[in-house]
Amino acid sequence: MNFLPPTPRAPAGPALRVMRQRAIQAATVVLLVSTACFAIIQSLPGDIAFRIAAGRYGYDQVTAASADTVRAELGLDRPAWQQLLAWLGDLLTLDLGTSLVTGASVAGELGLYLSSSLQLAAAALAMALVAGATAGVLAASRPGGVLDRLTTLWVSGARSLPPFLLGLVLILVFSVHLGVLPAAGHGTAGNIVLPAVTLAVGLSGLFARVTRDTVAQIRQSDYVRFAATKGLGGGLVFLRHVLRNTGVTLLPYVGVQLLVLIEGVVVVESLFAWPGLGHALVHAIFWRDLPMIQATALALALLVVALNTVVDLGTLALDPRPRRRELVL
Amino acid sequence: MSMRLNDLTVTHAGTVLVDVAGLDFEPGVPVTIVGESGSGKSLLAHAIMGTLPANLLARGGLSVDGRSYDLADRGNRRHLWGPVMALLPQEPGLALDPTMRTREQVAEGAATFATDKRSARRAAGTLLASLGLGHAAAAFPHTLSGGMAQRVAFAAATIGGAPVLIADEPSKGLDRQSRTELAELLKRHLGGGGILLTITHDLDLARELGGNVLVMKDAHILEHGPAGRVLAEPAHPYTRRLLAAEPARWRHSWTRAEPPAEAPGGPLIAGKGLGKAFAGQQLFADLSVAIGAGERVSLSGASGSGKTTLGNVLLRLLPPDTGHVDHVPALRGGRLQKLYQDPAAAFASRVPLRDSFGDVLRRHGVTTGRLDELMASLRLAPALLHRRPGQVSGGELQRLAIIRSMLLDPALVFADEPTSRLDLITQEETISCLMDQVDRNGAALLLVTHDVALADAVTHRRIPLGLEQGAAAGVTTSS
Repeated sequence: MNFLPPTPRAPAGPALRVMRQRAIQAATVVLLVSTACFAIIQSLPGDIAFRIAAGRYGYDQVTAASADTVRAELGLDRPAWQQLLAWLGDLLTLDLGTSLVTGASVAGELGLYLSSSLQLAAAALAMALVAGATAGVLAASRPGGVLDRLTTLWVSGARSLPPFLLGLVLILVFSVHLGVLPAAGHGTAGNIVLPAVTLAVGLSGLFARVTRDTVAQIRQSDYVRFAATKGLGGGLVFLRHVLRNTGVTLLPYVGVQLLVLIEGVVVVESLFAWPGLGHALVHAIFWRDLPMIQATALALALLVVALNTVVDLGTLALDPRPRRRELVL
Repeated sequence: MSMRLNDLTVTHAGTVLVDVAGLDFEPGVPVTIVGESGSGKSLLAHAIMGTLPANLLARGGLSVDGRSYDLADRGNRRHLWGPVMALLPQEPGLALDPTMRTREQVAEGAATFATDKRSARRAAGTLLASLGLGHAAAAFPHTLSGGMAQRVAFAAATIGGAPVLIADEPSKGLDRQSRTELAELLKRHLGGGGILLTITHDLDLARELGGNVLVMKDAHILEHGPAGRVLAEPAHPYTRRLLAAEPARWRHSWTRAEPPAEAPGGPLIAGKGLGKAFAGQQLFADLSVAIGAGERVSLSGASGSGKTTLGNVLLRLLPPDTGHVDHVPALRGGRLQKLYQDPAAAFASRVPLRDSFGDVLRRHGVTTGRLDELMASLRLAPALLHRRPGQVSGGELQRLAIIRSMLLDPALVFADEPTSRLDLITQEETISCLMDQVDRNGAALLLVTHDVALADAVTHRRIPLGLEQGAAAGVTTSS
């Protein structure tokens, strides 16, 4: 190991680098997700024009003639690569097109879906973080104690319950039997509770586990012990040294788990009829609403990139140590 | 101010680790405990402080200014931490919070911190400036050198005004310049009427501090007295053995040996016009180094002078910014070996040593007999191979690392501070093992060390780097 010579810290350098890397990643994601979505839809069984016609006019009205009308109108008879290029070209000009089924602007609908998905994800994340981190810190104060063992039980229990099953159980208990919370819908404050709890339960267990291990490890560190012999009380040591250093480990972990959150959103939204991106995506696939599928999938993918950027910037703010450094062995 | 330690014993599952009848501390007179690793000297310090690991049991008493404390109760001295007792930690680089600026870490030790943060920060700034660290008040620990980190830790430990300062191996990993600065700091604490207990295996630090020296081995104090007498005319055979283990006094067949006649076929490694900058700082420029077969060369200099970097450039582990390095073909196929400063980091920690060695034997077609032979000649019990790296001592693990490199009959061994974390006796033992093997194989040696006495004892010539090298060689450093 070598001691690094003192260097002045370039204040904006690392943050700019993160933004640049993530911007490149976002562009790559747009290209790959668009192409993959397109390819998957093309390979689905059934005639797309028939499905869209069914979405527009109802199943009873679908005839070969109406399907042909749809096909001609939307240019579905063009070769696949031309359709893909047309979509990518529109995307460059930020034109997401119109829904093939409802004829409304995709961008306008996407805004609504995105905001309600974000609401749900934020509520779930906040619940999971508060519950998980608190449980973890308490468990770490006495490793091997009652609370520590309860946390372990909670982690394994929460992880073994898939969200769709947990969601059904919650609906059965709180909506059907107790009748205290609405099972589905959107609009009142009570609507968000069950879907957010469903998402939060699985995450909170993981956060509790990681927080517990990190806090226990940091309490053993040289700098925490030195802080104590400097004369700092337990509370001050926790606030000034344990908390921030725990964040350095926990935040990137939260970043990784956000992926689980986004996946969960798709399932949970459908289950609770929450009008978010996941819900929209499932419906768009059902009706082969090509622009809508592309746009929602893209939005979900870009959401992951955006959240990771936020996590990266947060980690940079918490931990001043350089990420990249020349190998010195 | 007075402090006395009475009848201290520290035990672990019935094994006695420290057994000391009594120890008096007077203001202004430093007390230094020297001895090898495992002698119990660090445990004694932590028993006084009340920071022993939970699985150790301390018995005895401590009286501080007439008040008695039962050492069995590890919590009863907590209120003394800061205003009365302070601990200067070993490895200051690890004892500073990596996410907090230095001034904050110093300020939080001030007595006024809980009530008036602003005045605590002002006091911290003043203290850091008086230690020559005014420019580093807003720096994060990872930007500090080892010596600077030690001074920050000193400021943080002493800002609370504790008259009793306990320093646990404070010079570990520090170069000579930083060690002298550290001794000045500790003396400054004594000058203010403070009590100082220093635990170290560094006899030079003990000499610089003066005062009383205690020699500890196997839980007991063997000899004590004024530093001038104990470290010059020791009475106990063990103290004599300890003193003889200082590199300047080594007498072995390979110490201060004559360089070999220049071998035909040119040097093993030839670096020409080498330059390397690191984090905006020029470490060396236009440097040419050649190492011949069987030659022993050391790279010496202060921390951060680029000696390890130069070694890695010569081994072609790092590319130089300018110049190029040539290796003769004889160095191919693993005949160029590297020993690391921290052997624990050079072995897979969860794999039994036997498996790690088995991989080397299989990969290079070496017979098990050769391993057994080396184990025997380096005086290591074969049973050690059944353990994991964390379950053998640092000295033993470094000797195992030597064996691993010798299995490949190296033409050149690069040893990067191989003993800077070991105590004197273990250092001599380890270097002896290394040099016996180097001698037997006729291998060349490239040694990186900040210990000039060690470099002079072991190698034919020394390449100084950094400040030692000076402007004469046209090298600029800003450390």
